[in-house]
Amino acid sequence: MHRETLETLAFRTGYLTLFALLLLPLLVVVATSFAASGRLAFPPESYSLVWYGEFFGDVRWLTAFENSIIVGVGTAILATVLGVLAAFGQEIDDGSRIGSIVGPLVLIPLLIPPVILGITLLMYFSELGIRGSYVTLVLAHTLWATPLVYFVMRSVFSRFDWQQLDAAADLGAGPIQSFVHVVLPNVKQGVFVGGLLAFIISLQEFVMALFLSTASTETIPVLAWTEIRQALDPMVSVVSTFLILFSLVALVLAALATNLEWVSRQLS
Amino acid sequence: MSGANTDSGLVGPISAARSALPTLSELSRSNRSLLLMAPLLVFEVLIFVVPFAILLRISLTDGSSDHVYEPGTWSLESYATVFNSDLLHSIILYSFVLGAIVTVLSVLIGLFYAYAIWRSSGVVTSLLLLSVVMPLLTTLVIRTYAFNPLLSPTGTVNDVLLSVGLLSEPIQFVPATVGAIVGQLYIVLPYAVLAIYSVMATMDWGLVEAARDLGASRPRSFVEVVLPQVMPGIIVAAVISFAWSVGAYAAPDLLSNGITFAVHAEDLMIGDMRYSLAAALSVVMLVLMLVSVAIISAVLNFFGGDFDLA
Repeated sequence: MHRETLETLAFRTGYLTLFALLLLPLLVVVATSFAASGRLAFPPESYSLVWYGEFFGDVRWLTAFENSIIVGVGTAILATVLGVLAAFGQEIDDGSRIGSIVGPLVLIPLLIPPVILGITLLMYFSELGIRGSYVTLVLAHTLWATPLVYFVMRSVFSRFDWQQLDAAADLGAGPIQSFVHVVLPNVKQGVFVGGLLAFIISLQEFVMALFLSTASTETIPVLAWTEIRQALDPMVSVVSTFLILFSLVALVLAALATNLEWVSRQLS
Repeated sequence: MSGANTDSGLVGPISAARSALPTLSELSRSNRSLLLMAPLLVFEVLIFVVPFAILLRISLTDGSSDHVYEPGTWSLESYATVFNSDLLHSIILYSFVLGAIVTVLSVLIGLFYAYAIWRSSGVVTSLLLLSVVMPLLTTLVIRTYAFNPLLSPTGTVNDVLLSVGLLSEPIQFVPATVGAIVGQLYIVLPYAVLAIYSVMATMDWGLVEAARDLGASRPRSFVEVVLPQVMPGIIVAAVISFAWSVGAYAAPDLLSNGITFAVHAEDLMIGDMRYSLAAALSVVMLVLMLVSVAIISAVLNFFGGDFDLA
């Protein structure tokens, strides 16, 4: 009995320590963003909002923010279209050979180190002569974001009621009509969550962006990287805090959207 | 207007066209699914398969003459450089050692933390899961950067250890390999936890209880009941941790003086513009990684089979 309580105690201490350690770096980022001095220390000696003021006066950061949003939205749209269509196609596929290669093909890019993907795509886009536009960044990020949309949609479609499609066809709906009016409304939560994940992935991604962006298209993580290598100052913490908040708000919105939907379904 | 179409205006042609389209259930299923998967297939071929073919082609161009890659040439010079350079050998070895250390740590800690999440309930489960998802919402640049004020000689960890009296002199965690290991572990650990937890969540706790009722100790019931069942999750966690850690870029570059293959490849590409050598190095690394991943999963599968109770 005594040994058992000791084991339980050790187990609890173990995972609570890990819990604290996992959140500590994020705490460092948020705390240092309020540092009064330019020296990066945790905890900061004194607090102020001076670096937040700096952020809103800095054209480079604001441009990077804009770039991140543009690339993120582009990625979310492209990845969602590709992922949703492919997942739906996979679901109604009756064992074609091409169907069986879609899953692995969409998954493999996730397992290749981003540095190798970055090098490969930089060479490719250079050959094509389309280096340094938003397009190259969106295409690269879509490579990573599509698997997420695809797997979210696979699980959503697995719960879809296929008789609805037959009913729609009986009523004379064409393929596009039934997809837009019958399939999509049923899975729109999944589409939303998948698109959001794609957006967040793009917002955070940095190694491929490092290779593919130019001065005019650099995203927030890329600019943060350049700044960090020059000097460690609280400005990067400010930007990171915004980035954390941004992703968190997006996730909460997603949770709310899916839950509200659920609530209204219960009421109707 | 001529022919059988007596409808006026635009309605006629449109409704005629519409009835000519097969309905979703009329169109043969495999044709429909092919049509739907086509955009993704085209995308993957154009942005993934073709670029790798071009990488392979560029790795075979003459990269020896000067620093710019020369289209149209054929040469094994870059591969010869990779196979003969002691510098590149030590860089590749360092990447694999770093990757192996981080993978072992991430699987062990990931297994423990996933188990803690699985055994907890209510708010605790949500909080523990949140602690895994939150770092994923933060770009890895920032995740890595946060370790500087923590691990530097004047940083928080050293301050605490010095003031408690555990240390008499500060330890240099960064820049050092220890820093790179910690930073990279923090990058891959959340994925490892989620991969293992997703399998654990489907497990039946009753089996563990049964084992304990039959007299198995806690560690024994974990090793003989839990471990074999979560082996698929462990394999995914190991593969992800390994692939990303061997290719680690941010943590080694920012937190350590050791040069990994990724850091060196970036130098070759962006700094020196040696496309051919960078391509050859990437191809060699990919092959070595694929072989290692195959070995890792084979070994884990073997142990998975060994532990099987059935």
